[in-house]
Amino acid sequence: MAETVEPVVLPDIEQEERTDAQSELEPGYLVICWDDPVNLMDYVTHVFQVVFGWPKPKAEFHMLQVHNQGKSVLTRESMERAEHYVHQLQSYSLHATMERDA
Amino acid sequence: MKLIQRDGENFLFHISKREKGLFFEVLKLYPLIPTAHHRVSQTAAPGVMESQKLLEGALAERIRENKRQLLAVLNHEVGLQETDDARAHRFKLSAPQVEWLLQVLNDIRVGSWLILGEPDEKKDKPIELNDNNARYYAAMEFCGLFQMTLLNAIQPSS
Repeated sequence: MAETVEPVVLPDIEQEERTDAQSELEPGYLVICWDDPVNLMDYVTHVFQVVFGWPKPKAEFHMLQVHNQGKSVLTRESMERAEHYVHQLQSYSLHATMERDA
Repeated sequence: MKLIQRDGENFLFHISKREKGLFFEVLKLYPLIPTAHHRVSQTAAPGVMESQKLLEGALAERIRENKRQLLAVLNHEVGLQETDDARAHRFKLSAPQVEWLLQVLNDIRVGSWLILGEPDEKKDKPIELNDNNARYYAAMEFCGLFQMTLLNAIQPSS
């Protein structure tokens, strides 16, 4: 026979703390690359391959999206991971930002 | 500059003396992009200021490391060897060094573009050259040429 377990009710304050911590870990940040007229198309494709480890066709798809539509959402990540990717992209002088996913 | 040999992740380029002189003059411009130019976000959401400081700190550290490697090439010609006829050089680069050089060249290219007033054909905003900014136009174009040479060299592995 399975044991009966009393439900545990956590104090409200602990639940709030857990929610705050989760909000930083949940993948709620978009990493966006914006178009500019100076970065070479081949260079942008290469940077996407290096930073994200993407195969060339996927990297080219996002590069063309940046070129034709003005921006491309590259990935949706936790705040920490999004910061990491923005740092990487900007070290290659690409115009990249992270935006909270509404 | 052209690729003459590839051995795994090592690349050997031929660069004439004139090209090398031009290459070095362009590299001496690094860094051109102000650290504050990079924005971590386009909005003022909570936590953005902290993220912005982190970004600027990380980029400043990257620039310091890039400059250290750059000075080794400019001052001690690390990786460069004169050809037997003394008319050119062999320039040896590893794959990580190619990545480093691409970052340096693109900083100079984008920084030059900023100095030129961010010209943009799509927005009917042409380059307005004068005696003060002409060298940045040349630097922007030369960086693009060197970048394409490096990208074509590493293409098979990327």
